[in-house]
Amino acid sequence: MSVTAQAPAQYRGAAVRPGPIGLLREAALEIWNRRRLIGYLVQADVRKKGADTLLGNLWWVIDPLLQMAVYVVLVSIIFQRDKPDYPIFIFAAILPWKWFQTSVYDGITSVTGAGSLIRQVQFPKLVLPVASSLAAVVNFAFGLIPLTALILLLFPHRLSSTLLLIPLIAFVQFFFNVAMSIGLGALNVFFRDIGNVARHAMRLWFYLSPGLYALSDLQAATEKLPIPLIRHILLWNPFAILFSAYRNVIYEGIGPDWGALGALLVASLILLALATLLFKRAEPAFAKVL
Amino acid sequence: MAVVDIDPDVPSAPSSSLPAAIQADGIGIRYSLRFTRKTTLQRSFINLFKHEPADQFWALRDVTFKLVHGESLAVIGPNGAGKSTLLQVLAGIIAPSEGTVEVNGLISSLLTLGAGFDQDLTGRENIRLAGAFLGLQGMDMAQRTPGIIEFADLGPFIDAPLRTYSSGMRARLGFSIATSVDPDILLLDEVLATGDETFRAKSKARVVELVRQAKGVVFVTHDMNWVTEFCNRAILLQHGRIVAEGDPAEVVAIHKEHSRRAKAEREAELAAALAASGGGVLPPDAAGSKLLR
Repeated sequence: MSVTAQAPAQYRGAAVRPGPIGLLREAALEIWNRRRLIGYLVQADVRKKGADTLLGNLWWVIDPLLQMAVYVVLVSIIFQRDKPDYPIFIFAAILPWKWFQTSVYDGITSVTGAGSLIRQVQFPKLVLPVASSLAAVVNFAFGLIPLTALILLLFPHRLSSTLLLIPLIAFVQFFFNVAMSIGLGALNVFFRDIGNVARHAMRLWFYLSPGLYALSDLQAATEKLPIPLIRHILLWNPFAILFSAYRNVIYEGIGPDWGALGALLVASLILLALATLLFKRAEPAFAKVL
Repeated sequence: MAVVDIDPDVPSAPSSSLPAAIQADGIGIRYSLRFTRKTTLQRSFINLFKHEPADQFWALRDVTFKLVHGESLAVIGPNGAGKSTLLQVLAGIIAPSEGTVEVNGLISSLLTLGAGFDQDLTGRENIRLAGAFLGLQGMDMAQRTPGIIEFADLGPFIDAPLRTYSSGMRARLGFSIATSVDPDILLLDEVLATGDETFRAKSKARVVELVRQAKGVVFVTHDMNWVTEFCNRAILLQHGRIVAEGDPAEVVAIHKEHSRRAKAEREAELAAALAASGGGVLPPDAAGSKLLR
């Protein structure tokens, strides 16, 4: 009659709260102890996304291609801007952006979507945004298929060994994505219109980041801004760094700016710690509010 | 109905030497109405500038009790008295706003069955997922799975996605999963009205078995027969406070008396309201014309 549970068999509902370091350690332990649960949740999520549609998970391959086509038409035909091999240029930005978008939107609803469960079962809620961020990685990985196909079939001269650096850049982006998911997931419990705000903020974010245009365009355009701070914010925004890094290795065939990427990794880890603290502080209230 | 013997010797034994299974000291649960359900940014901005103290509501207050090993405790009371909230606290789902609760032993709560079910997964996969949510080890759950499947008795549907299930089948699966663990302390919240006649008999036998095995049980129920039959102590909750505690039969009698009185009061109020409107001063169209002007 022995039940070996990963959940604590004894607890005290006392008012003592661990400090920030204690909370972070608790969070790390929770994630590690519930890795199996996270695995199941990721599996379920991936299956669900392919379940109700005609083409199933094939959409993950088609979707970025269609979006790329829209931008190619818009920029090269309507705006008459000419960049060599523009499809690859733009695809290098669409891929990480779609990943970020999925991660953020799913992260926002990850906690509120499990409301009935949270009211009835005691488990570490942190597994929810973490699982949704991991499921989004699968989405990104599928996007690499059309990228490879595009390069091999249409632009073979762009094939370069720097493509192998993609996972390294993705590694940095992952921490940024998780931090956003955790933070926004917790906030959405208390403010249900985070999703609406995010939708518009994300659109603006994409257009202000060098996704459709090059980093050098952004540098040139912001040179004469009256307030230099705005220029710094735009040039140091995580997606200015990420888009440039992806574009360097996919389109230009050169290495990324390691310094900027390292700085982003450190900043993302700090953001992750802060988001986790916010989440852990808010967690006891979830069952009451949901 | 078979009378089940829950070993009446245990609760009367001196309990002070044993560690309490549950020790609750002055638990209070405060709900801040500022943050309940679907606040929007707009509302919270408004609240920020209105310097009123947030509306507060105590779902539980000053709840103190002890559950010794071997005891089964019934929590009864009218709707909205805080019974389910109390179970949520004991299960560790809600942390008390004041007071402390100490729990010794593995708790299993059968609050509402089938909470974390995923519609797109099969029955078998949902068993796995539920086990992971409850925090059971993979090996442990793998050992239990055949028993769960057998008890739920779903036939080939166990490998079909959950959205193809009827609500009865879903409840059966939920019940089988929830009762498959053998906990030290069992929390039960009205779980007995599940499935068809056959399954209900089967599930009742299972609950009786669990009650007998568990080192402590807390029941929340409206079925007074259960209280007098299976529990050796009862607590009556009203408006979040304990108003009576002790022998099940006596507490049930108090509860019945209170609800009879409350019902009589409501009826009297209703009658008064009816009388007032029936013998109203203004006929309906007169009131209407007054509004128009």
